[in-house]
Amino acid sequence: MNKDNNRILVNGNHAVAYGVKLAQPKVVPIYPITPQTPIVEKISEFQATGKMVVELMTAESEHSAMAACITASLTGVRVFTATASQGLMLMHEMLHYASGARAPIVMFNVNRTIGSPWGFWPDQTDSLAQRDTGWLQYYCEQGQESLDTVLQAYRVAEQVMLPVMVMHEAFYVSHALDIVEIPAQEVVDQYLPAFNPLHRLDPELGESWGNTVNQEMFYRHRRDLDLAMQKAIDVAQEADAEWRELTGRGYGIIEEYRCEGAELVIATMGSMVGTARDAVDKLRQEGVAVGLLKVKLFRPFPSEAVRQALMGVPKVMVLDRNFAPGTGGFLHQELKAALYGMESGPLIHGYLTGVGGTNISPTNIVSLVREAMSTQPVGNSVWKG
Amino acid sequence: MKETFKEVPSIWTTGWTDILNTGTWRSAIPIYQKRLAPCHAACPVDGEIPTWIMLARKQLYQEAWSALVANNPFPAVTGRICHHPCEGACNRGEYDGAVAINALEQYIGDLALSEGWTLPQPTVELDQRIAVIGGGPAGLSCAYQLRRLGYQVTLFEARPELGGVLYFGIPRYRLAKEIWDGELQRLLALGIEVKLNYQVMATELSALEKEYSAVFLALGAQRSKTLPQFSVHDPRVLKGLDFLESVNLEVAPQLGQEVVVIGGGSVALDVAGTVRRLGSQVKVLALESRESLPAQPDELAEALEEGVEIVAGVMVQNVGLSFDKLSLDCIKVTLDETSPVGVLRPIPLLGTDFRVSATSVILAVGQDAELTGWESVINVGQSLVRVDANLATNRPGVFAGGDVTPVERFISVAIGQGKKAASSIDQYLNKESSKEYSCSKEETGPEDIVSYQDINTFYFPEKTREQREIVTVQQRLQNFAELKIGFNSQQTQTQAERCFSCGNCVECDNCFYFCPDMAVVKDSSLAEHYHILDQYCKGCGSCVQECPRGAVVLKEETGR
Amino acid sequence: MGYQINEEKIFNSGHAACPGCSEALAMRYIVNTLGPDTIGVVPPSCIAIISGPQPLSSMRMPVYQTTLEASAASAAGIARALKAKGNDHTKVVVIAGDGGTYDIGFQALSSAAERSENFIYVCLDNEGYMNTGSQKSSSTPYLAYTTSTPAGKQTPKKNLAEIMAAHRIPYMATATTGYPEDLARKVAKAKDMTGLRLIIVLAPCLDGWGLADNAGPKVSRLAVETGVFPLYEVENGEDYTLNFGSIGTPVAQYLALQKRYRHLNQAQIEEIQLEVDHNWQRLQRNFVTK
Repeated sequence: MNKDNNRILVNGNHAVAYGVKLAQPKVVPIYPITPQTPIVEKISEFQATGKMVVELMTAESEHSAMAACITASLTGVRVFTATASQGLMLMHEMLHYASGARAPIVMFNVNRTIGSPWGFWPDQTDSLAQRDTGWLQYYCEQGQESLDTVLQAYRVAEQVMLPVMVMHEAFYVSHALDIVEIPAQEVVDQYLPAFNPLHRLDPELGESWGNTVNQEMFYRHRRDLDLAMQKAIDVAQEADAEWRELTGRGYGIIEEYRCEGAELVIATMGSMVGTARDAVDKLRQEGVAVGLLKVKLFRPFPSEAVRQALMGVPKVMVLDRNFAPGTGGFLHQELKAALYGMESGPLIHGYLTGVGGTNISPTNIVSLVREAMSTQPVGNSVWKG
Repeated sequence: MKETFKEVPSIWTTGWTDILNTGTWRSAIPIYQKRLAPCHAACPVDGEIPTWIMLARKQLYQEAWSALVANNPFPAVTGRICHHPCEGACNRGEYDGAVAINALEQYIGDLALSEGWTLPQPTVELDQRIAVIGGGPAGLSCAYQLRRLGYQVTLFEARPELGGVLYFGIPRYRLAKEIWDGELQRLLALGIEVKLNYQVMATELSALEKEYSAVFLALGAQRSKTLPQFSVHDPRVLKGLDFLESVNLEVAPQLGQEVVVIGGGSVALDVAGTVRRLGSQVKVLALESRESLPAQPDELAEALEEGVEIVAGVMVQNVGLSFDKLSLDCIKVTLDETSPVGVLRPIPLLGTDFRVSATSVILAVGQDAELTGWESVINVGQSLVRVDANLATNRPGVFAGGDVTPVERFISVAIGQGKKAASSIDQYLNKESSKEYSCSKEETGPEDIVSYQDINTFYFPEKTREQREIVTVQQRLQNFAELKIGFNSQQTQTQAERCFSCGNCVECDNCFYFCPDMAVVKDSSLAEHYHILDQYCKGCGSCVQECPRGAVVLKEETGR
Repeated sequence: MGYQINEEKIFNSGHAACPGCSEALAMRYIVNTLGPDTIGVVPPSCIAIISGPQPLSSMRMPVYQTTLEASAASAAGIARALKAKGNDHTKVVVIAGDGGTYDIGFQALSSAAERSENFIYVCLDNEGYMNTGSQKSSSTPYLAYTTSTPAGKQTPKKNLAEIMAAHRIPYMATATTGYPEDLARKVAKAKDMTGLRLIIVLAPCLDGWGLADNAGPKVSRLAVETGVFPLYEVENGEDYTLNFGSIGTPVAQYLALQKRYRHLNQAQIEEIQLEVDHNWQRLQRNFVTK
């Protein structure tokens, strides 16, 4: 690769690795799991060839990897790790621990089905099931976006002092090749200040973290975490705006695609967004007034922005490549909650599409739109392949 | 500088727990107290044995000697002939053998003599004059202590030499003359007026009382007892103490080859050993059984080695006299166990008669006090002067002690009596407690004495007690040189290290190191060396348990 | 004392340990020997409680409290971060219980050892989950009572010392609170080394083992003198040094002081004696005089 040419052909995972290299984390604990392994392999290669100066810790489990991320972060250095599915599940205890410790960790999670039974297929349930752990969540639809979002994530994390996980799906994005522009290091250095936390584990400060607190302290701590989470919406928007200024690429915390005068808006996350764009273009060509709402920042849920975007829209069709037993689609549920109480809010269809990694084509989406437009929605999420 | 936009996390720990008073948890607190060691409790002169041994361990020998002579001016003497009840009481005896306290005392006493250390002169000079009657161990000890306090002392001695039994009665092979001379001269250098060859009669007492503020009677028990079977006029029948005196003065009588000594105590064995050194054979006939002989076990062992024949449980019923020999008709006896203490009632065993012949017979059957005339001026009972617990007679200002009163007859007891009398005299004259004397022994009960259970033996690796060597028998029988070889400095160090220092803190710091709450603080300005932090101590007692020597105890706290 | 203990004032009084607690005594020597340029890691355990309630700490050094299984991983994270910052002087120490070391924390410890992570791991071994009320851990000895093995544990104590020595870590040592200068010496020795150093400290729990308040050091010494817990060091898995071993004291003397063994009959005591003798014989094969 010619170093002057900053556009390369890479898969989504490797794009993430390039993003991480630019962020210059100092400690990266890693553990392999399909399909995120190429991320850590690429980082290992960077380290071995001297392109990254980083402490690579080959942990013996994801749980330990996250435990090490937390302490390294609290010791005052930038950290990174990546995982998927079972690995993320194993980390669950430590995810809570990380946000409680207000450690600005950035982690990349490649969405993969969770056992049992075994599968390696794209499905967002793994990260969505962690939505209550106090981590911010971003869902990306292609490699460039994943690279850019990793960098935005560090900026947001280190400002609100909460950890951030960034997602793209197994194989559709992780292993798909794409042309990706690698920003210059100087641009990133301008965008991301050095990480120097005020409070850290340092003998010169003598502060400790983790002693048992009383109920009132716990309450205050949770409330402070809530304030940070709420502030994150504005911080994320500002971070995206600045990135757009520096690189010409911005994504917003949500994106409205061809929603002007829409009768129905498709709402979805991740790679399904890309498929839905094709469906929208096709339908618009036929004169169907349909638009697309991409939810990129899922946690904190951008309720205000979503309400504004869907104000006056008669119908919303949610496509969830994920499923929570007893609840249905995650986005479906969150959207209903966000829109509750809106005067003349839209009717909402919630469709479970692609759960377990089944293939959903633009044609499938087109016929789903037609069906949604002509039927009355029900409360529950509906299985649609 | 980029503005940090985030909120400060609400929970980082920045304070310390030492503001918390965990002392409120406890119900008992450790107290450092100097407790009575059993050796100290047993010592007739109230010697602070753990203290001087600790100083010896640090090789501060002169300081150790100073601690010794505070209670006893003759450590080189007692280091040879004391009956060492301290060793019998020593807690280490229950572990791997008592500490060789007597040998350590000898080393320090001898070192003082060879180094020429002098007793400190009194710091004040008082006007009062005290009369001490009798220059034996009790009298000399009393004179010493009074002089230390600053009194003017006049010592009356009937004999031409001071010392009493120390000079006249102890064989030179137990106590060399130069040792005794050294310690005596050192004492006299404090400025004691001595009147030798001056026997004070009872009739002089009133005159003495006018001239002196107080009087101490230390007349001793000079009159040897005799037995009716033996004629006092026969020159071949000798009294033990007289015999020993003649030997010490180098005018020993001719004894012939077959000497018989009557008696079972230390004097009898001293006589026997002396006889052996003079070249004669000797048999000792004692009423007591072998197991109950009053002599010390080591004295008995030495005597047997020297070829003394001991015949125990025997009585002489009749003595036949001829021109060259005495013929003793003996019979085996047992002693009546129902007879009162101190009274020997032999019961002859029929059919056990035998005859012993002797060229000389030496009687060593005890001494009485010579109190003729004294019973009219002071209370005398059962041939001894009656005194109260403070050694006062019924006559104000007149005190008595040593063998002339009812006490156990040991040199160290006499020295202790002299010291006690001095204290009583001082109190009598000043009507207040003398601060010089630690009467700690009298104020404490037996439960305050450190027992073996209070010792944490983990801190004392087993190390056997070493005995002083004794000169070989052949050498012993050749002359009157001392039979015990004192320790050298190496032995002294090794043996001093065996002392547990019961109840006496040596600043080993165990208490300090074993406190999980760091509630023990080292403080060398305190006599106790440590103090407990009231706000932290939880009363667990680890310091008490880990103190190797029981110098700290747990006291319940009431009303907290 | 042969070794002169040199303490800095890091461990504070006013902590919440039980009166006479062996762990507090051990913590004193560990942190006071390591000094202020240290970062500690403590999982849930009595140690965590002794570390102090918010906003107070019993240690004048930064201490991070982690989850029960993650001590070694957390310490590794700190050690790596310090290295990345170019800091080669600050020490990292884990102080964890046996539950968090032999059981749930074992995986992380084994792997940290394999990776040669640079920190000191001290396990305060009171042979059970004492903080939660004396449940059995894999460190609980054969036939000891715990609330989860009321009839006596049926399996022997896991030999973590030998397992970790077999990892060939630069330093593995056993110690106990009855020998404080030996413990302090070992901490000082570990402090000057790099790589993963492990010290297993037998810390008799007064409440869990059923002991008098003042009996901690005495019982820990009996553990050594009977051969139940010999004090030794292993460097690089090869060089064994015996510090204090069995002097032949019958194990019955050790058992008699502890309520957790009160239920034993004579045959069981003999069984334990055989086990102790066997283990001691086995261990001694490693101490070859050079």
